[in-house]
Amino acid sequence: MTRTSILVCLLLWLAVPVSAEEARALVAGAIDLTRGTTSYAKMSMQIHRPDWQRNSSLVAWTRGREDALIRFTAPAKDAGNATLKDDEKMWTFTPRLNRVIRLPYSLMAQSWAGSDFSYNDLSRTDNLLHDYRLSLVDSRQQDGHTVYTIEAVPHDDAPVVWGREVLVLRDDYVLLSHTFHDQDDLPLKRLEAMEIGEKGGRVFATRMRMVKLEEPDHWTEVNYDEVQFDVELEDGLFTVYSLRSGAGG
Amino acid sequence: MRTSVPIKVLAQMSCRNLWRHRRRNVMLLGAIVLAVAFVLLANSLLRGWQAQMLDTVVANLTGHVKVLAPGYRDDPSIQRGFELSADYQPAVPGLDGWTSRVRVPGVILSERDTRGVQLVGVDPAQELQISFLADVALEGEFLASPADRRVLIGAALAEQLETRIGRRIVLMTQGSDGRNREAGYRIAGIYRASSSSLEKVFVFTGREVLQSLLDSEAVTELSIRLTENGQRNQAKDVLQRQFSNQEASTWDELEPMAASMFRFVDTAMLIWFSIMMAALAFGLVNTLVTAVMERNRELGMLRAIGMQPGILLLQVVMESLMIVSLGVLLGIGFGVLAVHWLSEGIDLSQWTAGIESYYMGSLLVPVLLPYDILRVLGLSLLFGLLASAFPAWRAVRVEPLDAMRR
Repeated sequence: MTRTSILVCLLLWLAVPVSAEEARALVAGAIDLTRGTTSYAKMSMQIHRPDWQRNSSLVAWTRGREDALIRFTAPAKDAGNATLKDDEKMWTFTPRLNRVIRLPYSLMAQSWAGSDFSYNDLSRTDNLLHDYRLSLVDSRQQDGHTVYTIEAVPHDDAPVVWGREVLVLRDDYVLLSHTFHDQDDLPLKRLEAMEIGEKGGRVFATRMRMVKLEEPDHWTEVNYDEVQFDVELEDGLFTVYSLRSGAGG
Repeated sequence: MRTSVPIKVLAQMSCRNLWRHRRRNVMLLGAIVLAVAFVLLANSLLRGWQAQMLDTVVANLTGHVKVLAPGYRDDPSIQRGFELSADYQPAVPGLDGWTSRVRVPGVILSERDTRGVQLVGVDPAQELQISFLADVALEGEFLASPADRRVLIGAALAEQLETRIGRRIVLMTQGSDGRNREAGYRIAGIYRASSSSLEKVFVFTGREVLQSLLDSEAVTELSIRLTENGQRNQAKDVLQRQFSNQEASTWDELEPMAASMFRFVDTAMLIWFSIMMAALAFGLVNTLVTAVMERNRELGMLRAIGMQPGILLLQVVMESLMIVSLGVLLGIGFGVLAVHWLSEGIDLSQWTAGIESYYMGSLLVPVLLPYDILRVLGLSLLFGLLASAFPAWRAVRVEPLDAMRR
């Protein structure tokens, strides 16, 4: 063995600390990154199907991971439809019906606004930390970053239907992909970062795509057109009242 | 009425009169036998259906009598539960088996689908004594104890969820504080019940397991199975006294739809009987009237030599009763034979999907009650008596002089 190959081996060994603590720290870091920060974003969403696709525009306000208000602005027939999230609870508002509906938990696994995202995808906060056993299975160098692959296996009594989830996370906590496997270990859906860039002074996945892996050509893409972080938000923004009154929009 | 002719002679005369027209009367007899046999068979099939209906309703977690908290039927939640002491034993007359359950609406999730179901927390040993779970075909394992932290789901539900034994599913429901509760559970077994609607509705787990998910010590129902359906009202009263703050109800109060169908069967039997007998009546009256009319001369002669009209009337009635009672007895005999021949049951599995909603299983076994035989017997004889009224009246009205002049 040459000296260089020994060095490479040593480096690889150093770079692959297969430890649960490490994985936990990475996930916690990614979660902490958004904790307590507020944001305002203008986004566009594209729902793609084999024979049609739909584009819509929306605005979103967030505070930490707990609170979010999302409001559609286009197309005209969806404009005003809004979703409010307060911790675990979610409400939707449809201006044409003038009704606020508190989402029953039974609907949380259903599709949000006809997209490939479920309400759960929007609402889960830090359950990765307490419902799963995390382990770091791989790390590699890519474009000047260390990229970690973390495997999350739900605890037996955890309220999680997936058999396994695989997260690919960059050392600056940018989530590159998140794959959901069923209990036969078939990948069912994957959230992928399509573009990573700097917007509003932060580096993150500015274009993300949720792909249904069992049905080809079924995906939904969300693109951040404009983002501001650490904005001043009214106290009452994340309330049912503001959801109904169309506040912020 | 004073009889001047002994009954024996009268009976002899009736017999001879019947024998004079053997062919006609044997055909009439055949019609009666056939009608009675069919009525009896139809009766026992309907009774079989009724018995099955009762069985199904009682086994579908209803029991003969059930104790529920007031308001549970309108809002089935754990808040409307009640505490039952650990050493409770129901002292109810005619007790066959009993259990307490926690039963709340919930949601079951797999990787691929979400379904609304009834979550039932059971004590497996007690449950097997009283509910349909004892008769299901089970793949995998049954729950071992009230603390068994696994679930039992129906085959139809497993198919919808695309899951199988050993897989984890998530159960979701509302806890005792009104907040959402959810947890993952492994599937112990998959059951195949007589109807797919049962399979889609009930998800079983240990009672203590469901209580801990709901964060409650309460149960939502106490279900009692009796040896005799007839004792249900008595048992209900006893339970109502024991649980003065709760509501005791019998199965027919809990399942009004099944109860009305149950009662309908009784009516259906009478309707069926009436239709058969009405058809028969034409044949019987026609034959008897013919018999009276062709004996016009003879009857006139009898009157002329001093036979009282009452005796004449009695004789026609006797003729009618003789042929009817012989027919009925033979009919009942053939009916009983037919029921015996069908005692294996009639296989209806071809139509299972359609008949489920009528509380029927795939095998219809006729049930013959002594009461039903007696009823057919009694009603048929009564009917024979009524059918002879018109011919007898015709016989009495014969004018001796007119009749003999012809």
